[in-house]
Amino acid sequence: MRKRLTLWVFVLPGLLLYAVLFVYPALAGLFYSFTDWDGLSPSFQITGWKNYDTVLHSLVFQKALWNNLKFMAAVVFGQTLLSLVLALLLSGNRRIYVPLRALFFFPAILSTVSVGLIWSFVYDPGIGLLQGLFNLLGAEGLAPSWVGDRRIAIYSIAAVQVWAHTGQMMIVFIAGLQGIPAELKDAAAIDGGGRWRIFRSVTWPLLAPSATIVIAYTTIQSFKAFDLIFTMTDGGPNNATEIITTYIYHLAFSSYSFGEASAGSALFLVLLAALTWLQFKALRADRISY
Amino acid sequence: MRTYSYRPALRAAALAVLLLTAACSNNAASSAQNKESAAPSAPVAAESTQSTENVKPEEVTLSFLHWRGEDVPAFTDIIGKFQTEYPHIKVEMQTLPSDQYQTAALAKIAGGDAGDVFASFPGAQFEAVAKAGLYTDLSAEPYAANFNEALIEAGVKEGKRLAIPYQLVYNDPIYNVKLFDKLGLTPPDDWEGFLALCAKLKENGLIPIAFAGADIGPGQFMNTMVMNNLPSDDAFTKVESGEAKLTDEWWVKTLSQIKELNDKGYFQPNALGTKDAAAGALFIQEKAAILASGSYQLAQNKAQNPELEQKLLAPITVEAGQAKYEGIHTSTFLLGISTKSKHPEEAKTFLEFLSRPEIAGQYANATGQNVTVKGVEYTTPELQTATEWAGKKTLFQPRFTITNGENQKAVTNSIQAVLGGASPEEAAKEAQAVVDQQIAK
Amino acid sequence: MTFLRRSVLLLYSALIVAPLYFVVVTVFKSSPDFYAHPLGWPLPPTWTNLLRLFREQPLWQYFRNSVQVTAGTVLLVLLLGSMIAYAIVRFRGRTAGLLFMIFAAGLMVPSQVNMLTLYDLARKLNLSDRPLGLILFSSALLLPLAVFMLSGFMKLISRELLEAGSLDGCGEWSLYWRIAVPLVAPSLASTAAFLLVVVWNDLLLPMLLLGSKSRLTLPLAILQFRGEYVTDYPMLLTGVVVTSLPLVVMFLFLQRYFIAGLSEGALKG
Repeated sequence: MRKRLTLWVFVLPGLLLYAVLFVYPALAGLFYSFTDWDGLSPSFQITGWKNYDTVLHSLVFQKALWNNLKFMAAVVFGQTLLSLVLALLLSGNRRIYVPLRALFFFPAILSTVSVGLIWSFVYDPGIGLLQGLFNLLGAEGLAPSWVGDRRIAIYSIAAVQVWAHTGQMMIVFIAGLQGIPAELKDAAAIDGGGRWRIFRSVTWPLLAPSATIVIAYTTIQSFKAFDLIFTMTDGGPNNATEIITTYIYHLAFSSYSFGEASAGSALFLVLLAALTWLQFKALRADRISY
Repeated sequence: MRTYSYRPALRAAALAVLLLTAACSNNAASSAQNKESAAPSAPVAAESTQSTENVKPEEVTLSFLHWRGEDVPAFTDIIGKFQTEYPHIKVEMQTLPSDQYQTAALAKIAGGDAGDVFASFPGAQFEAVAKAGLYTDLSAEPYAANFNEALIEAGVKEGKRLAIPYQLVYNDPIYNVKLFDKLGLTPPDDWEGFLALCAKLKENGLIPIAFAGADIGPGQFMNTMVMNNLPSDDAFTKVESGEAKLTDEWWVKTLSQIKELNDKGYFQPNALGTKDAAAGALFIQEKAAILASGSYQLAQNKAQNPELEQKLLAPITVEAGQAKYEGIHTSTFLLGISTKSKHPEEAKTFLEFLSRPEIAGQYANATGQNVTVKGVEYTTPELQTATEWAGKKTLFQPRFTITNGENQKAVTNSIQAVLGGASPEEAAKEAQAVVDQQIAK
Repeated sequence: MTFLRRSVLLLYSALIVAPLYFVVVTVFKSSPDFYAHPLGWPLPPTWTNLLRLFREQPLWQYFRNSVQVTAGTVLLVLLLGSMIAYAIVRFRGRTAGLLFMIFAAGLMVPSQVNMLTLYDLARKLNLSDRPLGLILFSSALLLPLAVFMLSGFMKLISRELLEAGSLDGCGEWSLYWRIAVPLVAPSLASTAAFLLVVVWNDLLLPMLLLGSKSRLTLPLAILQFRGEYVTDYPMLLTGVVVTSLPLVVMFLFLQRYFIAGLSEGALKG
């Protein structure tokens, strides 16, 4: 019994901090989602589910949700594929691989603000690196407007996200690959399997847990992306890169609709909770099959 | 397999110690600083003989909150003078970058822990602060007479003077005088003339208009483009109340004229992907003849290219003689006194000080910003350029007559939409749909 | 190495290096030189931007702010997180499950959700615009992640070892401090690296909680440069490079922990 009491002393400071500075504001935010508070006024009215109704029907919210899905799809697809390919290329033990891994990983330690500004420079239609590349090839007029064209802007930003985090995911895959016993592959090779067959029948199934992790992590990260869009386009042009988090931010701080922003947050929370739950489930399922 | 060894732990510990010592030394430094900054007012005031009565006035510290980090040196000088005159009032200035100003500053003011005197933007922000009841009524303040009455209207709501705009900006495009002279061009007075001007510039290998389509461009350029198309000065107000629509002829016409400029290649390529910085750079390098921003950028352009000679020009979107306005003005940097302030009288004293022509002049000449105070002498050519416009017929920035943030964004978004290829009708319809949702709330 | 493999690796290296290279080169360009030849070699290279940045901006102050906040947060989170993780491992059964769930639930709440209520609370507790406030709030926000990661590591410690220690008369404190912490030390180091990157680069929370210019952290400072050097690209990019430098240097020396930490962060987070 004394042991349990001591253990609670271990838990208490953290729990207290967490309860007061994290849980309480989250619940308070939930409360405001049922009010018409503007974030400034001393008083507000309880408005029930009205904010939820408004947000769900808001054209901008719908656009943001749709953009978010496009962004997520692009990032998850691009990042997973690319990091897997790089991991397969770099999983061996050659000397040169170590610095290469570090290099590919490097963008992950830069702050998103820096990454955003660096890529704003790359994408700049006047002085940008990509424009320079097109000029070099003698195709001045053919360079697309990377972040200005509403059809591709969200993908241009997705590419930046991929650039920044592929190396990180590559390491996860490499760890997974190094966990696969070499004898298994050798055995398959002796059996006369081609490279592709070895990959399909040996490597890939054993890599599935890593893949699940990468996909799950990437999915959630891409939903939360805020800093990058805030730095690069702030949701423009014409809301083409507005995602849910920037939408909530704009509602609260440019439109002074704090109640609605809270409702948006609560909806976002439900969405993320669902995604996280799926992640847990997928991970657990894999553990059994492993 | 992971091998457990103590080396990484040691390194981590070393790292932690390193970080910690850095943090600690900073702690010491900053607390010392705090003491320094907290202490001085007391002895100064005790020795002061400035007060007219023999009663020692109570020591107070005012918080002055604004977003213009670049004005800090100018304000520091001014505050120094103020404190010499009123030794019992200490002014602590705090600035936040403008994008964070909306987030943190308003919450601070609402909480009453900063911003005895604070600045705000006209339009949506002014409305929100007014609605929250955070502005002290300044209607009875005599020094309001120091200002140009017409220019400080933006701080009046329902007959009460809630805030006083300090800065005056002409949101008209800037043009390169030397380039114009070389080609024998003068600012035109009708739409045909403006198109011809752009065509001529383009023929001569120049970018006619540098346009920051990704950020500030639409919000700045829409004003001069719409000013003469507006059926009435309060058209946007009517849009917000549902009495008029963005799909009405005047806004669709404005959108199609902007689209026309874009389609004819009078903006730089990929205007929508161009940010403020890049558009400004084109103008500074004299690759572009016109910069679609406003007088606030004159000083900065000059600093980067001292050879530049700049003036303002507003495109006239109608036939000659039908134009109601020659340009746009905005009075911004609305100075208000928080209702949460514990020292409203001292805050008013500070406002009075700022409203003196010699102080306003000092501010203007140090920062390159025009001011709303009467009788100020401007010494730089850039400020004088803007002064020429004082005699012209200008309209208060229409964008700021839109008081709902989401509506404001819908309007500028419709400009981005036409630049992105949408038809003016579609773009207007899309924007109106957002406005309708706001009205329905 | 096959030709294909070599070219893919080369291409991707170029993709990583090229943007960084051009940004770094810009630091040494004068403004006119940059606009005339945005992608050329600086002719002649100049130190002006760097000197000007250090003269005009209190960079050391920003650096110290970042160090202070990061060190404080990382240490606090590691301490509190490992204590909770230890308790979870020792509790077992329902209490452990419940505690774990309470913290894991926090993983789902994105920080953008609470922005204004967080701010409101900070103000009421007199924690706004104070490094201490930022440290406490950052710690509270990161605690779920730390508990999640660290309890994963602590579970790997053999139960028998702890129980044996317990029978030998070791109290919980010495079990935690003498056995559990040293055993998971490598994992603590990589968790620390992970937290370090997250806290150092965080934008939203400092943006919300810090006001005065003298308290800005480096990412906030870059945003502010954007406001101050509007049309001066070389200055802005110099700001980006200089503010990124501290972490880059650390990365060069402590690569292994960063790489392990950030991928484990992904694994667990």
